[in-house]
Amino acid sequence: MTRYDRGFQRFLHLRLVVLLAAVVILGRLFYVQIIDDKYDRMATANIIRRPEVEFPMRGEVLDRNGEYLVRSRVCYDVMVVTSNIPKQGFDTVRMAQILGMDIEKLRSQISKARRSPRAPFLVTGYLSQEAKLILDEGHFDGFYTRFRTAREYPRKIGGNLLGYVSEVTAEQVKKFPYYEAGDYIGVGGVESAYETDLRGEKGVSYRIYDTHGALKGSYFDGAMDVLPVKGSQLVSTIDGRLQEFAEELMKGKVGAVVAIEPSTGEILVMVSSPTYNPDLMVGRERNNNYARMLHDQRNPQFNRAVKAKYPPGSTFKLVQGLIGLQEGVLRPRDMHPCSEGYSYGSRKMKCHAHRSPVDLRDAVATSCNAYFCYVFKDVITNPKYGAIREGVKAWNEYVYSFGFGRKLGSDFYGEGAGFVPTPEYYDRKYGRWNYGSVLSCAIGQGEMGCTPLQMANLAAIIANRGYYYIPHIIKGIEGRDSIDARFYERQYTMVDSVHFVPIVEGMWRGVNEWGTSGGAKLEGWDVCGKTGTAQNPNGKDHSTFLSFAPKDNPKIAISVYVEHGGFGATIAVPIASLIEELYLTDTIKRPNLVEQVLNMTPNYSHYDKMQKKYDAARAAKAKK
Amino acid sequence: MKNYYDSMSRGGNMSLFGNVDLVALGLYIALVLIGLLSITSASYDSESTSIFSMQHNYMKQLMWIGFSSVAAVVILLLERSYFHMFSYPAYVFGILMLLACLLFGREVNGAKAWFEFGSVRIQPVEFVKIATALTMARVMSSYSFNINRISDLAKIIGVLLLPLAIIIKQNDTGSGLVLGAFIFVMYREGLTKYLYFPAIFTVALFICSFIFAPEAIFITLLILFAAYTLLKTGAVLVHVRFLAAMFCAMILLAVATPLSAYQSIMIVCAIAAVALGIIAIKSRALMLLWPVMMYIYAMLFVPTCDFLFTKLEPHQQNRILTFVGMKSDPKGIDYNVIQSQIAIGSGNFFGKGYMQGTQIRYDYVPEKHTDFIFCTVGEEWGFFGTLFVISLYVALIFRLMRMGERIGETFGRVYCYSVAAILLFHVWVNVGMTIGLMPVMGIPLPLMSYGGSSLVAFTILIMIAIRLDASTDDKSVYSV
Repeated sequence: MTRYDRGFQRFLHLRLVVLLAAVVILGRLFYVQIIDDKYDRMATANIIRRPEVEFPMRGEVLDRNGEYLVRSRVCYDVMVVTSNIPKQGFDTVRMAQILGMDIEKLRSQISKARRSPRAPFLVTGYLSQEAKLILDEGHFDGFYTRFRTAREYPRKIGGNLLGYVSEVTAEQVKKFPYYEAGDYIGVGGVESAYETDLRGEKGVSYRIYDTHGALKGSYFDGAMDVLPVKGSQLVSTIDGRLQEFAEELMKGKVGAVVAIEPSTGEILVMVSSPTYNPDLMVGRERNNNYARMLHDQRNPQFNRAVKAKYPPGSTFKLVQGLIGLQEGVLRPRDMHPCSEGYSYGSRKMKCHAHRSPVDLRDAVATSCNAYFCYVFKDVITNPKYGAIREGVKAWNEYVYSFGFGRKLGSDFYGEGAGFVPTPEYYDRKYGRWNYGSVLSCAIGQGEMGCTPLQMANLAAIIANRGYYYIPHIIKGIEGRDSIDARFYERQYTMVDSVHFVPIVEGMWRGVNEWGTSGGAKLEGWDVCGKTGTAQNPNGKDHSTFLSFAPKDNPKIAISVYVEHGGFGATIAVPIASLIEELYLTDTIKRPNLVEQVLNMTPNYSHYDKMQKKYDAARAAKAKK
Repeated sequence: MKNYYDSMSRGGNMSLFGNVDLVALGLYIALVLIGLLSITSASYDSESTSIFSMQHNYMKQLMWIGFSSVAAVVILLLERSYFHMFSYPAYVFGILMLLACLLFGREVNGAKAWFEFGSVRIQPVEFVKIATALTMARVMSSYSFNINRISDLAKIIGVLLLPLAIIIKQNDTGSGLVLGAFIFVMYREGLTKYLYFPAIFTVALFICSFIFAPEAIFITLLILFAAYTLLKTGAVLVHVRFLAAMFCAMILLAVATPLSAYQSIMIVCAIAAVALGIIAIKSRALMLLWPVMMYIYAMLFVPTCDFLFTKLEPHQQNRILTFVGMKSDPKGIDYNVIQSQIAIGSGNFFGKGYMQGTQIRYDYVPEKHTDFIFCTVGEEWGFFGTLFVISLYVALIFRLMRMGERIGETFGRVYCYSVAAILLFHVWVNVGMTIGLMPVMGIPLPLMSYGGSSLVAFTILIMIAIRLDASTDDKSVYSV
């Protein structure tokens, strides 16, 4: 019995061991299955991997007449999961043919993809719908397509104006939670400014995959999926035909054209030259095209119309005159002499030969430098301000009210502010300064910097006799009643409406009677205009022209700026005039003039030299 | 006590099938059917048109179940003395099979442990288990066998080591470790604590030697040793001085001589151990001698362990290192364990429902119908499923132990305990492996895992126990 007793003790011990083992296992099971929920998440992550984004169709942009400036077309990304490619391989030649790719390129892409055989890899993008169907028929295991959209430009105009679409950068992904790597985002122009309207809403779908990456169906039968929402259609203020014509005229010239409808602030034309065909920024050659533009020293990607800082030249005399009138230091009948220039101290501001003395209207018409030096001097040395410093400050306020030296607040991406010198600026630059130091501002030279948009806005202000609407490029958004309220408010300058009469009169005379802008005359339309010839350190003078028409109830205000174009009258005037003609009369009755403008090519030795130097530096770097 | 035995014994010599233990049989059938259900779920392919095609694993398993049933009936019909009689021949045959396998076998997953006949693969080690259990029972039930006599103990250890040696040679160490489960039986048969305590100590040291640095183990043991003698003697000051002297010596050696910290600790510990041993013998403080010997043993064992480890195959080293968390490779060995835990862990309370387990369906669990069949239970039936299945196993093991006690003679008892021990080992290692408690060893879950060898072997194993238990009164047949 004792033996049994000891045996029975040990039987009990061993039962305890079994129970203990079971308890340990059940305890661990309880922890893994019930307490720790990380396995639930890991299980879901296993089968779903990641939610699949369904890309929405990006919104279109129409011009003011309802024709497409930008459209979206369907295209496909070709993806590969190399582990699903059959062992015997696939017909590389046929595949390359379907995809329209180089065989070598295709092979290198596949070998890149093989580095992580189970992960989807982008072989190439921008596959047309027809090619996609052929690819589908080919039943290439391991390959599949992903729906995408690409931009399309029926008129091939407005590269800088419209911007382009590109994959998001890593920084953008970090900054904006909406985007994930591989998403598209608008860059520059309308695409960027109206990104949130154009992009639509991404859809998402949850699909189940097995461990080999094969698709097994949708998660919860698609109950959690979200369909993509197409982006909003935008109606632009741009006149497509006019824009195309303006771009044509600006070919071979560096500069900008901006035209505004004065009664609304709508931008009719916005050309930055050199421009580029926006189609270059779509498709497989995109990166090469982009690089080529990047190396072009004329910088086609730089939107001169809103970013450049040009000296306004003589066109700025209009502002000078208006300020003088408002300040009461100038009356329209006041005469000032001009002895082919204006002398101050030992120096002289030169002027061209014209009759002397002149009153305000004729000074505008003939673009007399001396006259406006007198006016400017009277403004800033006005005894009521006590010191020249205070005078310049007061003058600054006037200039700002015309939209210079600050951003206009347009809806355009990357709008520049230009530059208007302030007393503080002169302090920094000269330390002690006097009237002579700032005189060049009188005729829009020196430190003055304006964007072509600001100059066009000045034309609109004069056309409106004293106010403007903030220039904008989009006038309607699908699904919304109106655009931003700021575009419907009149922005008044500090100069009363009545003072604009003699200025407008002068501009009219300059075109229609005798003056510098005679080339802009258009029979039956009272065109008003002011030329400008801006000196610059890099070469020949810049040619600029500022105009609006007709004189009463103006329909178009325009600013043309051609770098190194010489006298304002030579290039800028005919370009502006032709654009006005097309817009106002719907026809061109001066084909000879068009021919003439097309053949005008200013000498850009300055840019050519830069390009040469840059290319040499690149070549040297490449050698290294 | 007596009542308990009465309740376990059975009166009268009834017909054979009437005496079959229905509880054990029921548990066996339940586990086999749950296994079949799980295999069906794990290998069901919705794209396949023919449900009853023999291509499917569940159809093959069904065939093996049929085969096992025949084997079961045959065993239950056999005279029970045959098992006693054929135990030695079976053992010899088993050893020959293992040797033949070593020579002509087929290599699967690096282990040369399989025979292949057409599409059927047989793993002889499954049947060697049966033969070994029978042989152990026969040796231990032989006249005047005393487990605590060195020669008798050597006999049974020899019986275990012979197949183990061949299995290790086959590179199938995982399957061989099951023979270690016989310590369970030996304990029941009265193995002295002076042998199994060192055995447990050895296992603990073995595991610790991978997880902790040897220095840490020695110092811990030293402190434990001091704590033990302190408890026995109550001489606080002596122990504080002793430990202080030890640590001072270690630091001095490490700083003042070119010896490394490890070497200093080893030297001081060795000197201390030898000195203590001498003191213990001289002062006849025998209670000191016992722990001192353990300590010296540890000092020899831990470095040997490290040395032996370097002799293991790289994949075995990796498995052990991964298991103790010293090496992480989510895409390698760890991958299996992580995926299996994800499947089981995502089952929650009630599971995802039969055939609804995503991890199983979509192939995320490797070996899902063989070694990792438990994942199907865990994912599709949740904690209730796993609790139920573990309970069935515990009930079967308990039942086998109870049958062993009930038989009342050594051959049957040793055999039943052997079956219980083998089952316990398999369930513990297999389930432990699926939930990250044990390293991956390629050991099937008894009765449930897909595979003919394993199912038939476990059927025979259990049926013999049931057969031995079915007629407990005719023990005369094998009185030697």
